[in-house]
Amino acid sequence: MGDGTVVTPDVGFVRSLQEAGADTLKKCYQCATCSVVCELTPKDNPFPRKEMLMAQWGMKKALASDPDVWLCHNCNDCTKYCPRGARPGDVLSVLRKSAVAENAFPRFMGTIVGNPSLILLALALPILLFGAFIGVRMSSGQPLFPEGQVVFDKFFPIHYIDPIFITTTTLVMLSFVISVSRFWNGLNTQPYKLLAYGRFLPSFIATIKEIVFHNKFQKCDANKERTTAHRLVMFGFIGLFITTNWAVFHMYVLGWRSPYSLTDPNILALFGGSKELVFLAYLVFKTFGNLSAIAFLLGGIMIVSSRLKDKGFVSKTSSFDWLFASVMLILAVTGLLSELLRVAGLAVPAYTIYFIHLIFVFYIIAYLPYSKLAHLVYRTVAITYSKMANRDIM
Amino acid sequence: MSDNKSILVIGGGISGLTTAIEAAETGYNTIIVERNPYLGGRVAQLNRYFPKLCPPYCGLEINFKRIKQNPNIKFYTMAEVENISGKEGNFTVQVKLNPRFVNSKCTGCNMCVEVCPVERPNSFNFGMDKTKAIYRPHEMSFPMKYVIDSTACPGTQCSKCVEVCKYNAIDLNMKAETLQLNVSSIVYATGWNPYDATHMDNLGYGKVKNVITNMMMERMAAPNGPTKGKIVRPSDSKAVKTVAFVQCAGSRDENHLAHCSSICCMATLKQATYLRDSSPETKAIMYYIDLRAPGKYEDFLKKVQASNVIEMIKGKVAKIEEDSETQDPILVVEDVLGGKKIRQQVDMVVLATGMEPSIKGKGTGVQLDENGFVIADGQQAGVYAAGVAKSPNDVMTSLQDATGTALKGIQSAARR
Repeated sequence: MGDGTVVTPDVGFVRSLQEAGADTLKKCYQCATCSVVCELTPKDNPFPRKEMLMAQWGMKKALASDPDVWLCHNCNDCTKYCPRGARPGDVLSVLRKSAVAENAFPRFMGTIVGNPSLILLALALPILLFGAFIGVRMSSGQPLFPEGQVVFDKFFPIHYIDPIFITTTTLVMLSFVISVSRFWNGLNTQPYKLLAYGRFLPSFIATIKEIVFHNKFQKCDANKERTTAHRLVMFGFIGLFITTNWAVFHMYVLGWRSPYSLTDPNILALFGGSKELVFLAYLVFKTFGNLSAIAFLLGGIMIVSSRLKDKGFVSKTSSFDWLFASVMLILAVTGLLSELLRVAGLAVPAYTIYFIHLIFVFYIIAYLPYSKLAHLVYRTVAITYSKMANRDIM
Repeated sequence: MSDNKSILVIGGGISGLTTAIEAAETGYNTIIVERNPYLGGRVAQLNRYFPKLCPPYCGLEINFKRIKQNPNIKFYTMAEVENISGKEGNFTVQVKLNPRFVNSKCTGCNMCVEVCPVERPNSFNFGMDKTKAIYRPHEMSFPMKYVIDSTACPGTQCSKCVEVCKYNAIDLNMKAETLQLNVSSIVYATGWNPYDATHMDNLGYGKVKNVITNMMMERMAAPNGPTKGKIVRPSDSKAVKTVAFVQCAGSRDENHLAHCSSICCMATLKQATYLRDSSPETKAIMYYIDLRAPGKYEDFLKKVQASNVIEMIKGKVAKIEEDSETQDPILVVEDVLGGKKIRQQVDMVVLATGMEPSIKGKGTGVQLDENGFVIADGQQAGVYAAGVAKSPNDVMTSLQDATGTALKGIQSAARR
């Protein structure tokens, strides 16, 4: 205060926030009820009141490097008690989206993925890419939908999938390295500039613990049920990630064509010739994968349904939010459906749904640094940073 | 009653009295209908009132004297308007007169109170003390007549008061009556109620013992109040050292009263002077969002600030808890200018609760705005409003408004 800073309001930015769902932000009259009822805010320079003011002035740069918007877990206690209907919970959620777009590398990707009306453009890339690969396969005279037993490998060979996704993942990681270092440099300024980096590891470990145990979510008062929903989605997602890597391990390290096949002599030999053990391992693998998928789907349904029922103070949900929730739901539904249709032997629907599933898998992986899912990186970084800066002590 | 040149004033608070008296003093007949057993309304409950910080009876006594001297004024206490029909110049108004159980032979000897076996919470003092079932509304109440609370009194089966009364002033069989009035115009001067502080679940009123409202503070500071003017906290009657004032407690809040009640900032500054006058060491802390001290009141603000009785912190209190050991309230607030979220332990908290229009939700047929205040323009011809019934204001502004409204009533009466 009083250090003579001159703020030039960025009206265009304010308008873009309002259009993205923070239409109530100008109603705030700075009473600070929100900062008081918030259970997650630090005591020094608490949020979200100051973020509301920064948003009203359109302080884009400062908001993109504000760690506090990431400490917010959208409990909505602030929105419940706000005397003006300014909905700080919704505003902070839009501020996180804008921080992702602002730190994104390359920036135009942040703009495309961040804008729900450009969803078709974003989907066009995987559709064309995967369509081209199927075209290559068909150029050797194979039909679009292969005959016989439903095997996805025949429709879209694994040796196409892996190079695509390995390349994509590498690009995603590169993008994250650049965006996160931008973000970090933004964080590491006054008033929270770090004096030393020695606290990184303990802070990081504390952050991961907090995320796994959902400690912050559990402090929410107005909107408690989100804890369970987020747990299901998060652990479902992690489970599916493990399943994928488990399968990759089978294929490339062990050289299996199909997981735990009872007729494969190499696999039998690995389990000492016991068919029972192989079958048991098969069951464990399948159960783990399917349970993860079901948890993911259930959590997704919970999130969407809790947003649909209006409790007045629950997030009104911007279209960016809806887009992300829909993508996640489509991902879960198409995944489980392609499995069921495959088992049922319905070739055409199975292959079609599988194709859609691939498109959306690509969407969430390739666009990870620009979509709402980027929060898993930004939030982890911001909480770790805040702990290092002695700011976020739970 | 068929004098259709009369002006009916609903509400006998400071605004209603003013409208009725000013109009009557020009020669018109006026009728005051008051729900309470006494006249004077909210002002009667204050310890001191603006602009001169006099006790309320400075102003009220003069008005009561003007009523007594003027045959043009009639008033009914314990009376409620039940129905209104007709049009400007010829309204028919049905008024229910609730039984007082005490007639005009009452001399105020207090014998009845001494024998009465039943107690009731004293509503005049916001329940901070008790009266007997037969009581005088307050020490200075006008008309000077006792009254029986029918919800507390066991009735004829007790009759101890009837037996002891030498003047035959008590009639336990008194029944409600209905009165037909024919009037030329109607003025709503229905005033306000303090906003119910229990609605704000985060401010602890009703749960944290040492959280009171600003109107309770007025009663406590008043020499005829429940503590005889001593400012002590409810839990242990200890004299207070630090008192926090929580502004906008319910006002300017869409979840409660969306409007600014306009008087609470000045009320708090005034109450800070009560604390200073009771003990110079007492410290007042005022938590506010914006300070509203318009016009001349700015001088008062400057004076209070200069006298160091009050510390002012910008930030709205949004949580009050109780320290289980000391029963001290602990309030949580963001000091907006200092940039810190603070917890402050104090001896007592005063919630600066606002004005909720009494007429809100009553379904009287009069046009109200979204906050429940009577809309000034656009009413049926001959229907007017004065004072806080129309908008939240201090006494001074209400009186100016009430005087102006008297002219409106007179025009309706004279038009015929």
